[in-house]
Amino acid sequence: MALEREAYRAIEDIVGKRNVSEDSSVTETYRCITSQSSAHYGPFNHQTPRPQAVVLPGSTEEVRQVIRICNRYGIQFKVASTFWAAMGYVGSDRAIQIDMVRMGGVRIDAKNMMAIVEPYAIGAVVQVEAMKFGLNCNMAGVGCSSSVLAGAAGWMGFGPSSLFMGIASENILGAEWVLPDGEILRTGSLGSDGSWFCGEGPGPSTRAVLRGWQGSTGAMGVCTRMAVRLHPWPGPKLIPTYGEVPSYKADGLENFRTYTLCFNEWEDYARAFQLFHEADVIYLGHRQFNMFGRDIKGAMLKILVDSGGQFSDLLPLMDDPYVKSENEKMKIDVQIVLAGLTERDLAYKEKAVDEVLRQTHGWKSEFMLDKEMRDFVLLYLLRLGRKNLNYTLCSSYEGNFGMSSNVFVAAPLMEEASALKRKWEQDTPHIAAVGGDSDMGSMSGIGGGGTTGWEFFVHFDAYDKDSIRGTKEFIDDSQRWMLSKGLGADMGRWNADARREDGYDYTQEEHDAIYKNLPQPAIFEYQWKVREAFNPRHLTGSYYRTKTPENVK
Amino acid sequence: MIETTLEDFRPMMERCSNCLACKWLPYEKIESRRFGRNCPSAAYYSFNTYSARGRFHLGQVLLDGRSEFTEQAVEAIHSCTACGSCDVSCKITRYNLEPLAHNIALKERAVELGKYYPGQKAAIDCLEAERTMLPGERHSARTDWAKDLGLKDLTREKAEYAFFAGCQYSFGSGLAEKARFWAGMLRDAGVDLGYLGKADMCCGGRAKQMGFKGAFEKQAGANIAALKAAGVTAIVTPCSDCYHAFKRQYATLGLEVKTLHVSELAADLLAEGRLKFKKSIDMTVTYHDPCHLGRLGEPYVPWDGVEKKVLNQIHTWDPPRPRYAGTFGVYDAPRSVLKAIPGLRLKEMQRVREYSWCCGAGGGCSLSSPELSSATASERLTEARSTGADAIVTACPWCLRNLEKAVDENGRQMKAVDITELVALAV
Repeated sequence: MALEREAYRAIEDIVGKRNVSEDSSVTETYRCITSQSSAHYGPFNHQTPRPQAVVLPGSTEEVRQVIRICNRYGIQFKVASTFWAAMGYVGSDRAIQIDMVRMGGVRIDAKNMMAIVEPYAIGAVVQVEAMKFGLNCNMAGVGCSSSVLAGAAGWMGFGPSSLFMGIASENILGAEWVLPDGEILRTGSLGSDGSWFCGEGPGPSTRAVLRGWQGSTGAMGVCTRMAVRLHPWPGPKLIPTYGEVPSYKADGLENFRTYTLCFNEWEDYARAFQLFHEADVIYLGHRQFNMFGRDIKGAMLKILVDSGGQFSDLLPLMDDPYVKSENEKMKIDVQIVLAGLTERDLAYKEKAVDEVLRQTHGWKSEFMLDKEMRDFVLLYLLRLGRKNLNYTLCSSYEGNFGMSSNVFVAAPLMEEASALKRKWEQDTPHIAAVGGDSDMGSMSGIGGGGTTGWEFFVHFDAYDKDSIRGTKEFIDDSQRWMLSKGLGADMGRWNADARREDGYDYTQEEHDAIYKNLPQPAIFEYQWKVREAFNPRHLTGSYYRTKTPENVK
Repeated sequence: MIETTLEDFRPMMERCSNCLACKWLPYEKIESRRFGRNCPSAAYYSFNTYSARGRFHLGQVLLDGRSEFTEQAVEAIHSCTACGSCDVSCKITRYNLEPLAHNIALKERAVELGKYYPGQKAAIDCLEAERTMLPGERHSARTDWAKDLGLKDLTREKAEYAFFAGCQYSFGSGLAEKARFWAGMLRDAGVDLGYLGKADMCCGGRAKQMGFKGAFEKQAGANIAALKAAGVTAIVTPCSDCYHAFKRQYATLGLEVKTLHVSELAADLLAEGRLKFKKSIDMTVTYHDPCHLGRLGEPYVPWDGVEKKVLNQIHTWDPPRPRYAGTFGVYDAPRSVLKAIPGLRLKEMQRVREYSWCCGAGGGCSLSSPELSSATASERLTEARSTGADAIVTACPWCLRNLEKAVDENGRQMKAVDITELVALAV
């Protein structure tokens, strides 16, 4: 369905002819193929609706004007910049896609230790610009390919650095935000001269409306600028690298160490996390390479660290006695990075790690201490530039047994969750058979005494319709198991109540029917009131979860 | 089985995971926001459709009949400079996607359907009529550069090396002299060298990069026959496009002759002491890696295999499929030549080697999308100027031409120099 000519021309007048398109070749390529990216509600063998137009605004003012047009004509809009998952795509046939690609500015305010970023400033560029000033930014688990702003406003924001730097929501200091009705709201202390000099500033916080706990998933207007907190970076202005493409490695970071810590039991693993949260000595902490799977991670690392490595080497490497033996020792593992401000500081942190290992009967993997492996892992974790390895085994993945909670919730269930997944790997051909446990996740934030984020990566083939269907069936089974344990919605279903299986938005009636049966439906009624205040024409889709209050019906 | 038709790429279209790494340098190599982007067309047009990911999606859309080859679709397809930067970035993490090959397959489908630009047609018509892709030039004048040089004519005499000047060095103002220089210098250094005489013609490599597969294959067939008849063991060329054509494209058609860029031969001669630089050049330069010599200049590895899944769903190839990720491109030879010139100082740009920024002339874009081509060159000059260099040096005449006529983001020109010019000054 085409936009009204008057509406299209009005948008064209705002952003210029070359920055808006309703050509089918463009609009069709702005649909999310819901098997091709981790959508957390599928996977399904279909696409999200086709937007009526794709608009590329170049300034906050242009965003505001475009949204006003949307309000005038009743057109839904959805905003995204790095398009990692389905949540950034439109959910109705009466909608335009706003792509923030033209707004990628980054300004580092070194004195106040913050970065002012626009939506298309990806983690990789914010980080390198910050490092020039001895600073670093929290990199959400989605990796440096994604928008820092979107990670902070739109989604969870846990990552390897969250232990030291906090999760994304904790790093928001202020925002320039075009509300769904086209008004501009600037949060933070902007009152005097418009500069960004501190956090939220005086007055009530609007952060909860901007992002809530989980993130507003692009459903609460358009955030056009954000001030995010930066953190100390005790490394060089640019991380030097060596090695041939694609196996680049960090070079000469003398005051950094990376270790893979291993444990006999999950109880020891959880206890170590607790002690690390208390000790405050770790710069980055992530269970990273287990995402490939417990049985294959050692072999995969050998492939990745070698520029000539191929996946056809996988089975022979898995049979290699040394790799096999070392892989077994890394069954329960986590990667950490230590950063020393001084030699003495590094020595202290090393001692603290050794003490934690002593108390938890843990050890450092020898396999991961090989120089090239170590340098590869260090670069990987510091830049988080290879998150797209999530997709490398089979082309797609979805998360199961995923949560953000205390590590003591996950750890006791890890083997049971592994056994469930291993059963599906053995009984069906639809998901990669990698040893059950393919848990990955970060040590995460320290708020609340130490949280962790984790998920099992379920690798499947987005080209193979049976693999897509089989994966969905497995995630359904995983969800049943999660509920049987009292754990609530599985990560692979986190957005199942935000977008229908056919890719379209839920209607309000459908949302009402869903939420009235959930515990604490009043939360969604409160959300309804917020939406009515900020988004009276309901123009941003059903990722904003609401239930109509009884007294309104 | 190597993918040859657009339909063959269907698995890749559906397995591309929309990570959009194809729009950036390998992330671990990004040094600044300003020079972090890698894909000229994605950077210029901004819509995702103009990225390798967008083109995978577009291919799927076109095969499914959900869009026609609209004006904008044709622009998205032909604005790929075929520089291969997306290929390198993609292959940092992916082992089963070939974005560049798919981009070219899309162009081929568009050309089959008559969806191309007048500027492209003029070049292809000229290729047909005059055996060059430079409209206005005549085949009868193609080897004028070799007159009185005393080079062996390989249609009548035998030599170990065939010197292949390429269209730009054969006809270009100021470039024909450089072809003479190289041929004369290499001969004087003791290299047994000849040229193809009347059989000399365009390599056709750019036709392939533009999607004109038939025209390319016709050229390649004629050239392969001429080279086989000449019986040479190696080809040496000053043109990076020709280098790529012989080394990678012709190799797929059965040409088994070693291919060398003049900079590689010069580096070898310097190492052997057969070439010496006697004069000093007081200049600071920065080196622009031509895509076709750098990341696309890797040796061809024959492969005929099939996909094989292991551990249920993990993709492998049987036998292992060669991965062209830019690892073995020609990066060091031209740099070692420059570093051997007394007095010359080399300062590197941020985007170099396998993640170099394209000059904008690739894929025939100077013919099909002149604005994109110009903006891409401008971006490169801006980056070159940021190093503080006096000049930008390259080892490809197509890059040279595009950089010569460009201005940086502030409207300033910068001296663009062919590596030949510096070598000629230094010997």
